[in-house]
Amino acid sequence: MSEAGLVLDGVSAAYRTETVLHEVDLAVARGELLVVLGPSGAGKSTVLRVAAGLEPVTAGRVRIAGRDVTDQRPGLRNVSMVFQSYALFPHLTVAENIAFGLEVRDTPHRVARERARAAAETVGCAGLLDRRPGQLSGGERQRVALARALVREPDVFLLDEPLSNLDLALRVEMRAELRALHDRLGATMVHVTHDQTEALVLADRIAVLRDGRIEQVGTPEEIWRTPATVFVARFVGSPAMNLLPAGGPLQPAGDPPALPVEAQIGFRPEAVNLDTGHGAPAIVDRIEVVGEDAYVYLTLEGGKPVVARVPTTRRPDRGAAVRVGVRWTDTHVFDATSGRRLAP
Amino acid sequence: MSAGSEAGPRAPGTGAGSPAGPDARSRRQLALMLAPYLAGLVGLVLLPALVTLALAFTHYDLVRPPAWAGFDNFTALVEDPIFRIALTNTVVFAVVAVPLRVLLALGLALLLHRRTPGAGTARAAALLPTAVPEIAYGLLWLWLLNPLYGPINQVLRVGGENGLTALGRTPPQWLTDPTDARAAIILVSLFTMGETFVVLLAARRALPRDVYEMAAIEDATGWDVFRRITLPLMAPVLALLALRDAIASLHFTFVSAFVVTDGGPPPYATTYLSLFVYQTGFEYLRYGYAAAATLVMMVLTLAAVLVQWRLVRRYRRFYPR
Amino acid sequence: MTTVRSKSLLAAALCGALAVTGCGSGVGSSSQEQIKLLVFGAPEELAAYRTLIDAYEAARPGERVQLVEASDRKDLLARLATSVAGGAPPDVFLMNYRFYGQFAAKGVVEPLDGRIAASDAVDPADYYPVAMDAFKWHDQQLCLPQNVSSLVVYYNRTLFARYGVPEPKPGWTWNDLVGTATAMTRDGRGLVIKGTEAEGAARLPAVHGLGVEPSIIRLAPLVWSNGGEIVDDPDRPTRLALDSPAAREALKSLVDLRLAYGVVPSDAEVEAEDDESRFLNGRLAMLMTSRRATTNFRTITGFDWDVAPLPVYQRPVGVLHSDAYCMTRGSRNKDAAWRFMEYAMSADGQKIIAATGRTVPSHIETSRSPAFLDPNLPPRNSQIFLDAIPTVRALPTVSTWPEIEDLSYGILENAMHRGDRLDDVIRELDAKSRPVFARGENG
Ligand SMILES: Nc1ncnc2c1ncn2[C@@H]1O[C@H](COP(=O)(O)OP(=O)(O)OP(=O)(O)O)[C@@H](O)[C@H]1O
Ligand SMILES: [Mg+2]
Repeated sequence: MSEAGLVLDGVSAAYRTETVLHEVDLAVARGELLVVLGPSGAGKSTVLRVAAGLEPVTAGRVRIAGRDVTDQRPGLRNVSMVFQSYALFPHLTVAENIAFGLEVRDTPHRVARERARAAAETVGCAGLLDRRPGQLSGGERQRVALARALVREPDVFLLDEPLSNLDLALRVEMRAELRALHDRLGATMVHVTHDQTEALVLADRIAVLRDGRIEQVGTPEEIWRTPATVFVARFVGSPAMNLLPAGGPLQPAGDPPALPVEAQIGFRPEAVNLDTGHGAPAIVDRIEVVGEDAYVYLTLEGGKPVVARVPTTRRPDRGAAVRVGVRWTDTHVFDATSGRRLAP
Repeated sequence: MSAGSEAGPRAPGTGAGSPAGPDARSRRQLALMLAPYLAGLVGLVLLPALVTLALAFTHYDLVRPPAWAGFDNFTALVEDPIFRIALTNTVVFAVVAVPLRVLLALGLALLLHRRTPGAGTARAAALLPTAVPEIAYGLLWLWLLNPLYGPINQVLRVGGENGLTALGRTPPQWLTDPTDARAAIILVSLFTMGETFVVLLAARRALPRDVYEMAAIEDATGWDVFRRITLPLMAPVLALLALRDAIASLHFTFVSAFVVTDGGPPPYATTYLSLFVYQTGFEYLRYGYAAAATLVMMVLTLAAVLVQWRLVRRYRRFYPR
Repeated sequence: MTTVRSKSLLAAALCGALAVTGCGSGVGSSSQEQIKLLVFGAPEELAAYRTLIDAYEAARPGERVQLVEASDRKDLLARLATSVAGGAPPDVFLMNYRFYGQFAAKGVVEPLDGRIAASDAVDPADYYPVAMDAFKWHDQQLCLPQNVSSLVVYYNRTLFARYGVPEPKPGWTWNDLVGTATAMTRDGRGLVIKGTEAEGAARLPAVHGLGVEPSIIRLAPLVWSNGGEIVDDPDRPTRLALDSPAAREALKSLVDLRLAYGVVPSDAEVEAEDDESRFLNGRLAMLMTSRRATTNFRTITGFDWDVAPLPVYQRPVGVLHSDAYCMTRGSRNKDAAWRFMEYAMSADGQKIIAATGRTVPSHIETSRSPAFLDPNLPPRNSQIFLDAIPTVRALPTVSTWPEIEDLSYGILENAMHRGDRLDDVIRELDAKSRPVFARGENG
């Protein structure tokens, strides 16, 4: 897993004069599935477009499978891409769409068709082979786009939100399918999404992107357990992590670490305990029940909000006065000004 | 984002019980908006066309009242060698010039659709001949095609001796050799494809960009991109433009034939139907006869429309709705 | 008619024609008294008509004439026809006798006999009878000829002097013409050259001996001079008949100018530079054309030029060129129109037009006055136009004559420049002209 499949080395990119990627360093190992996670407009698609050669870099180098491809045209980089907009050829049938990349590379017609069918079967759209994109639903189109990317075996797969338009069940299924496919092919994949669950489930590693900068790269576990910044901490996890000033109304239980003056503490809703009987007093504002779980929105004395996740059966009543308790072991500490992680 | 389609907004005046739903209402509005156009169409195009249609069956010299002639004019047309030549010339012109014009416009549109330096100027230049008044354009070509002093033949003679081209052949006799003159008229017509060019430019720009990026990633060659993507995507527009051009070709030979070649070289190398109609109608005062020829021209146009309509419909299947 | 110049006029004409066809009735007169005069011509000619109208309006206070300008003959025909069809014709128009037939036959033109008889100003005896007769249709005087002109040979005296070739003299023969033209066809170094060699483009003549267009109206006087006829029956023609030995010989002489002697410019050369421009530019020694060219040639400053009569085959014959003022039957102001025609036909009116040099006045007295014969204005030999008048003949008056001219022009042009076999040419002229004559009406 050490050999690099795709490397972005200090890459900056701009649309006209507006810089949207700022010296991004990213190394995807061969055979790795890296998920680029970030909010809308963070530059996720731009990362893929730069890797594919569709946008020029303004600084830095791009390497694919050990080759410096910075100045190569897209066709020579040997990548496959699923566009966020699908980019299907409206005048070609599904089969022709999938086989396009093979046919322009002079693969014999019959072979190309056979492989197209196989790829379609992988993503479950084999029944659509004779339709045209205009006759497909959004989800069906997305699967065709995915099949088109999977029909070849390039050095890197670049998948721009390939599952965004599928219903939940299908997304979960496709997610597993994609992971299995990746493991089977041993392919290098860069998968873009703004869905943190998808990222956590799917990724070997996750790169969190924000405003054109990498916030953190790490395994899903690292991202979850040791978010490097407040941004990562709050972006991953739903509802988002609670953040409070370190010296504020709520003091976690246990041995406090050494804290600087300007610090923030963060803890996930599931770390909140409403049953301890001690802790900071708070009032229940509202409650969202999601099946077995209930999200309890509370206001501390002094007005700071806190969210707790409790089993639905043990949820307090609305307007009830409760006590909010957390433990230091479940607490993350961040520098209040930089937002960087301090401890543990 | 709900995928379900919403019902159209219901106009306040339309009661629920009224049979005139929003559909009928919008249709009425449409009719109202179309009315001026339809009136113009009827008054300025259809009525004159019908009158022409009627006059085709009369002897009419513009001066004395028309006299019923039955099919005399048409039988005379069949026997009229000049008409037959004019008809052949017109068809040959359309068959050669229309594809060339559309291809030229397409080539230019594909070359110039990008925002590269100089492209704007080049686009303006491609449009320019269309903006020149037709007569002035004809006169310009009269000078360009001058067999001895015209710039075209001057250039062709560069490197040759004794008025021959570098290959030792006589340069084209644009205005005196029948074949060369026909070629000249086609040449003259080629540069007025500005409108077609503009439409194709817009059509090319409207094509989705990501599709081309996809092709770039798959390393499709320029030829593959043209053949497999651009051409099929633009085919419906191309077909419509070719159709329009074929209809227009019946007319845009007129000024060049009138001004540049005067229907010659003898006997009638560049006498097209339009010129024939003008001459017989307005110079020889055989208006009824000219009307009959016009009618033939219209039928011809209709045939061209039908043939190409079928082609367009074949491409329709690409875009089912 | 395929000259650069005439085509540019033609082009401008088209704009006008299209404007008129759409709105024949839009030409309605603004005032009851104003009459409209439809003419065509070069800018100098149009200027002359404006002068004529100004003089008329000055001489007859209260009279108003509006000049409607067509740019050439075809434009004029189209305008006239469409305005008549639209019910608002001009009151007076000017037209050549070769083309007025179709309007005469269709009753567009108002007969003038009654008005002439009642007029103090117009006396038919004051005008050349050959011109007056050309505008009689079924023995009615339909129009009043403004001019009478015949075909002559313009020649570049300076060139003749330079090459030491004797100038054409009255009474010269066709052979003299061929000899002179051959001697005047020169290359760039001034050496005599045979223009037929030019086909291989080896050496192009710098000066051609003669310019003559291969048209039926140029051919006609040759045929007549040789004792032949161009149609089977001059009074009731049914076909172009050049199959008589005399006519055939004349036709052969004409095409031989190009095919055998190469003294006239090739078709490509004519397309490149029409004969009139070629003469103006000093590259044509002689040009066979009517009085019309004089206006243009008076702008020449670089050389001296003059006119000579047509060469004689067997007996001297000329061909009539004449335009006349015609009144439309549909005019709403016939009296006012007639008053203007009277003035235009008077000595005063004729002098104004004659001053342009374009016409030989039909008014006998004016034609003999300095207004026409002014020795200070070229050509010095204007007298030969008058000398030719007794021998000029008119072409047949058939309503379809314009079509005859157009169709014969193409055939004759190919005969002269492409070398079509004479028998085929004659047969084709015969066959193609028959249906056109058959459709026509005779005057
Ligand atoms: N063609 C373009 N021209 C100008 N600016 C662009 C262009 N494409 C993207 N941008 C800008 O660049 C930034 C990054 O865009 P990008 O498409 O990479 O975002 P993204 O992370 O993929 O967002 P999303 O999740 O909505 O797809 C955005 O601010 C966007 O407005
Ligand atoms: Mg995106």
